[in-house]
Amino acid sequence: MAKTVIVSCGTGIATSTVAAIAIEEACKEAGIDVVTKQCKGQEIPELLKQGADLIVTTSVMRFDPGIPVVKGLAFLTGVGKDAIVQEILDHLRE
Amino acid sequence: MDFLTILKSFVDTMGATVLLPVFIFIFALILGAKAGRAFRAAVTIGVAFIGINLVIGLMWGALSGVSQALVTNVGIERDIIDVGWPAAAAVAFATDVGLWVIPVGLIVNFALLIPGVTKTLNVDIWNFWHYALIGSLVTYASGSLPMGLAAAAVAAAFMLFLGDWTAKGIQEFYDLPGISIPHGMTAPMVPLALPFNWLFDRIPGLRDVDADPDGIEKSLGSTFGDPMVMGLVIGLILGLIAYFGEFAGAFIPTLGKIIVLGFELAAVMVLLPRMVRILMEGLIPVSEAARDFMSKRASDREVYIGLDSAVLVGHPSAISTGLLLVPIAILLSIILPGNRMLLFADLAVLPFLCAQIAPMAKGNIVRMVFVGTILLIFGFYFANALAPAITAIAGGAGFAIPENAVLISSIADGFVWSPLAFMLLGKYLGWIGIGLFAILTAALFYFYKKNEAAWDKLAGASGE
Repeated sequence: MAKTVIVSCGTGIATSTVAAIAIEEACKEAGIDVVTKQCKGQEIPELLKQGADLIVTTSVMRFDPGIPVVKGLAFLTGVGKDAIVQEILDHLRE
Repeated sequence: MDFLTILKSFVDTMGATVLLPVFIFIFALILGAKAGRAFRAAVTIGVAFIGINLVIGLMWGALSGVSQALVTNVGIERDIIDVGWPAAAAVAFATDVGLWVIPVGLIVNFALLIPGVTKTLNVDIWNFWHYALIGSLVTYASGSLPMGLAAAAVAAAFMLFLGDWTAKGIQEFYDLPGISIPHGMTAPMVPLALPFNWLFDRIPGLRDVDADPDGIEKSLGSTFGDPMVMGLVIGLILGLIAYFGEFAGAFIPTLGKIIVLGFELAAVMVLLPRMVRILMEGLIPVSEAARDFMSKRASDREVYIGLDSAVLVGHPSAISTGLLLVPIAILLSIILPGNRMLLFADLAVLPFLCAQIAPMAKGNIVRMVFVGTILLIFGFYFANALAPAITAIAGGAGFAIPENAVLISSIADGFVWSPLAFMLLGKYLGWIGIGLFAILTAALFYFYKKNEAAWDKLAGASGE
């Protein structure tokens, strides 16, 4: 079954698109079946109800969602990108 | 016909839908992206333009009907439609200046980064559209493409200065180490907000009040926080006002018309950002290639990575302020004398308005709403003044604008002072005007370097 990753940012459009595409590409390469759902921070609780395995956020995470959270700022800056890709893949392989 | 004439007529026929993809493909290759990926990205951009044009058509049809009904049924003249930043960005990239804005922006960034004039390495290629908008407005006002490109270059440098200046405050307040925000909409708000924030500090009583962000989000978030619901509600209310007089004699058809309007505007709010997401997807390979290209060549002294202010607006104070400003903005659009703008699509971006001034306001929501309201009042007059020019460049860039129709404008960047300032300088002073702005930018960099700590503090850094 495909893993679900919630990708959130300030608008659910701008920076989360960059992160979501990077995640999809990395997972494809690693052979992991993944679905990304983009949203704004405020919409995370709603998406959590539908089930998810991981949250990647480029803005602030303001509560404990009960599933792993990865800070996705490196997808935008390019600094430390490989490390967070590895972190995301590790979470999804569990 | 010689070759150039043939080429020109060929290019004119195709328009931005085809031209920008071709340019993006070439830039991506030059910057070192793989051919297959660059090609796919380029086609994606063409697809996005077609999608955006379709949704703008829907919005146009719905809102121009309302606008006409407001005049004939109610006697209110609101004939400038707020088409929103997604449309503004698409228009800006589709202009002649927009075709060149990516290399222009990269060259300016490099030229200022290598000698250490700026600390910001702006990897946010997407937001080069702000520079393109400024450049294309100058080209429109002056008739000169080189002047528009120069204006875009000066604007890029100016935003880098604003990014540097506000970086320390942003890094502390939002806990974003190593980041700066050279964003064409949110950064210019900082200098304009400065005197009003100062003024607020001098008002006894009021300066000590704050509000609770979570409470505001809970009470307003469900209506104003969800663009789809907001589109529906605005559509129903606008429809009721515009078509109220038609109820007598035609109750059911009028009611139907109002409900359809609500759904159409809800659809625009959902679909327009989706289309822009496609455009962004298409820009990713060129933006990644540019980022890697620049990072490799930037020296190892302290460099801030310049990002989209979208990384700020998840913060509770930015969201709450944005939510509170929605009803204020609508009220202002009704009562401000001389305003012709009908707010719509960009009501969703109001959290951006005060995002970059939050460090200066110490995250105090009452203060941000106070300053934000003043920024909005200015903004309405900027946007009204810019509307004819924005409408003209949208038409020139191949967007489907009906003859004798209403005008268009937007909050981003219509409400920002910089596009209007550049356009007026270009129109009345020509090259001298653009030169003056360049000198201003150079002077700001110079004085900033002389006393960084004091400047940082002014923009909200703690000074530690």
